[in-house]
Amino acid sequence: MATHEDDAQQALPGTPPGTPAGGDGGTRRRPLREQHVEETVEVAVPVRTAYNQWTQFKSFPRFSGVVRDVAQVRPTVTVWTLGYGPLRRRFAVEIVEQDPDAYLAWRGLRQHPSHEGEVEFTPTRSGGTAITVRMLLEPRGAARALTRSGRVTRLAARLVRGELLHFKRFIEGLGQEGGAWRGTIRNGRVQHDHPEPPRSRVAHWPVG
Amino acid sequence: MQNPSGEEPETTLSVTPPKKWAAGVPAVVHALEYSLEQTSPKKTGVDLLTMNQVGGIDCPGCAWADPAPGERHRNEYCENGAKHINDEATTRRITADFFREHSVSDLAARSDMWLNQQGRLTEPMVKRPGSDHYEPITWDDALGVLARELKALASPDEAVFYTSGRASNEAAFVLQLFARAFGTNNLPDCSNMCHESSGFALSETLGTGKGTVSLDDLHHADLIFLVGQNPGTNHPRQLSALEEAKRNGGRIVAVNPLPEAGLRRFKNPQKPRGVIGRGTQIADRFLHIKPGGDLALFQALNRLLLEAEDARPGTVLDHGFIDAHTAGFEEFAAHARTVDWDDVHAATGLTREEIEKVRDEVLRSERVVVCWAMGITQHKHGVPTIREIVNFLMLRGNLGRAGTGACPVRGHSNVQGDRTMGIWEQMPDTFLDALRKEFGFDPPRPHGLDSVNAIKAMREGRVKVFLALAGNFVRAAPDSEVTEEAMRSCRLTAHISTKLNRSHTVCGDTALILPTLGRTERDVQADGEQFVTVENSMSEVHTSQGRLEPASPLLLSEVAILCRLARRTLDGKPDIPWETFEGDYGTIRDRISRVVAGFHDYNARVTRPGGFRLPNPVNEGVFPNKVGKALFTCNERVVPRAPQGHLLLQTLRSHDQWNTVPYTNNDRYRGIHGSRHVVLVNPADLTELGLAQGDRVDLVSVWADGTERRAENFEIVSYPAAKGSAAAYYPETNVLVPLDSVADISNQPTSKGIVVRLEPPRAAR
Repeated sequence: MATHEDDAQQALPGTPPGTPAGGDGGTRRRPLREQHVEETVEVAVPVRTAYNQWTQFKSFPRFSGVVRDVAQVRPTVTVWTLGYGPLRRRFAVEIVEQDPDAYLAWRGLRQHPSHEGEVEFTPTRSGGTAITVRMLLEPRGAARALTRSGRVTRLAARLVRGELLHFKRFIEGLGQEGGAWRGTIRNGRVQHDHPEPPRSRVAHWPVG
Repeated sequence: MQNPSGEEPETTLSVTPPKKWAAGVPAVVHALEYSLEQTSPKKTGVDLLTMNQVGGIDCPGCAWADPAPGERHRNEYCENGAKHINDEATTRRITADFFREHSVSDLAARSDMWLNQQGRLTEPMVKRPGSDHYEPITWDDALGVLARELKALASPDEAVFYTSGRASNEAAFVLQLFARAFGTNNLPDCSNMCHESSGFALSETLGTGKGTVSLDDLHHADLIFLVGQNPGTNHPRQLSALEEAKRNGGRIVAVNPLPEAGLRRFKNPQKPRGVIGRGTQIADRFLHIKPGGDLALFQALNRLLLEAEDARPGTVLDHGFIDAHTAGFEEFAAHARTVDWDDVHAATGLTREEIEKVRDEVLRSERVVVCWAMGITQHKHGVPTIREIVNFLMLRGNLGRAGTGACPVRGHSNVQGDRTMGIWEQMPDTFLDALRKEFGFDPPRPHGLDSVNAIKAMREGRVKVFLALAGNFVRAAPDSEVTEEAMRSCRLTAHISTKLNRSHTVCGDTALILPTLGRTERDVQADGEQFVTVENSMSEVHTSQGRLEPASPLLLSEVAILCRLARRTLDGKPDIPWETFEGDYGTIRDRISRVVAGFHDYNARVTRPGGFRLPNPVNEGVFPNKVGKALFTCNERVVPRAPQGHLLLQTLRSHDQWNTVPYTNNDRYRGIHGSRHVVLVNPADLTELGLAQGDRVDLVSVWADGTERRAENFEIVSYPAAKGSAAAYYPETNVLVPLDSVADISNQPTSKGIVVRLEPPRAAR
């Protein structure tokens, strides 16, 4: 798979899995108390491989049935374009927590988030990875009434499961990740124990 | 609009109530009206429909970021951008006959507006020693004259190479390379006069001189501060971002000495609600602050936040961020707690209750962005003010997270990129080492001259040759009479320009006009059609490519002029492939990719739709300053005061103006029509001074050197300026800004907070 050069620049290959990065305290993992969707799929690649590939958000359109484009504004902010047929929906997402090889939590960047979610990566006995996605949908306006319907919730769950299965086929087919971002995010902020990660090496002098 | 070939129009002032909203249908009408007066409907259409589009022209009007590709409007420009681009694409031409008809003395007596209206420069011109006329000269001879003067200097440091923010990355890189290969770091730029204070304050505290936000941050902020800026006139496309923030539920606090229309309400002409509706309210809260009171305001807010934390420990400050990523908190907190409310009131004119209401807004907001512009940077205490803003952001962890950050709003479209390319008189050794490695020569290490020091050096005879890459240095610089005297003392002045301006008329013994292609025009070189690249205020690097045929076949591009000059001047030492650079700008970008951090694979990445975004260390969790952490600072309190009978003046632009160039004598948002020789004064101050609207006065500034600086014959307009302050147009009142009146640390001229008195006109006495 082609490596997204920006993401490759982000990679901190020396960081061991799950290294606590310190920074804004320990993990603030706050599992969703309530969710509309929870789906788990096992993939036959090690946790590190599955996690690394997952961090390559810009590659999602390669396997997804609904993701048309992902722009990475910076490590904590991505802008997603979903589409089905002629319909398009664009929204920004903030990654609020991220632990390498373990966990990632996000929320929609709106005053009142329309959704938030988390994905967990758990090693299986067979050497593979169980990927669990949980999502809480909080749409506004007319769509709010729709999510109260069990049918719509089931549809969302089916969609998430379908996407997870697409990812499974993708990463199992490739066998290895096409890039990695190994940083830690706490409270929406990147943590680094490295004094000057590659991507920060830009002009530092005053700009008038 | 005046007749370009006619005489200066009579100026007759009429005043109407200030507007309560910006843009809307009138903005479209005014933009089209001006555009069609300047050029043909076809050219107007080509310009406007390719402006700020992928593969099109980057608007030279300002440095505001473009929405992502696919998210842009078909008409992705503002009124001022449309005027500016078609002002450049004008069909009017200046030929040799014009200069035969008009002597340099004649042109020096003309207004900025008249000079601009004469049209595009079409062939190289020279004013020889002792002559009062420009005459045609071939490119070969023009560059020969300049090269001979440069080579004849006793030291390379007797030359100064000025850059305006219109210059592309490629031209800027070539200019700094040439200057350093020639042997000097004398590279002043327009940044010295606009956001130098931002660069110094942010570099010291955060380790990066650039703003940390993207458009997405603005769109999703809970609270946005607009401090010392006028987006309706100077950055109109910012209003679209603010509108989106409001529609997402965000709130806005505007802080300014003048209640500008664009801070109040925005009628987006691309939306039905902006055409037939009431538009979008911008500021939820307006703080009518005294000029220079912003430092005290943020100090007061910081004290209130600390006290709120005392009252409810663990709920106000972001201790996780402060403990892990910052230094100097304890000293800062102790200092902040000593803020005196009487001082705050004296400095700001605001009550404690008003500031407490803003604190409550802050406490309700998880994500805060602070935007500022020259209403902050051009004060003597501009650097401490921005440092205090950084303190404010850090207290609640409003850095490095989505929807948060520091947003210095820059003016010229590539002012940030030019700095990134090395246009700075104090470039660090890391950059100079990279130049040495790439080009095989040892760049000079001593720091060079910035704009203020360049003027001093010219005046004292230490600089003899002045070359400007675009801009209108004489009118942008402070202390106009001193600056003009300095320019006239040069042996040679040369300007790479698209249009005529006063800097061509206030010139050295020998003067050269080197006419160049505009942004709107096709740039065809030996290797084919070229594009250039620029970096906007949000660190996005992208292409710009004009579509119009050049105004004259004799025009050379900025890159071509500089490469040819370098060949003539340096005679192959060091061995730099200037000819290759001129023929294929991609070869310049290849070199940039190896010299400037963050530009790897430049040619490949910049041609993607929308280009690429340079990472910001703060958003990567890194603070590459001296302490390696975000730095809290203790800033001494400042209470700007004017003596009895005096006011604090701020210079500002009118709505119908781009930088030093007024398009008309109108400023419709402020209700000023027909004249720029006006001074806006609070009605209560007028009463105290025994003056009234319509009175004519001279503005006289007060400075320690005792020199009288006078702007003559201005008409008073009673206006809701903050009590104790006055406002008048730039560049007409630059004459009042003493050259030695600079911001602490950044050496930026202080065009705000100038102490002035209003006297009966000298001419009438």
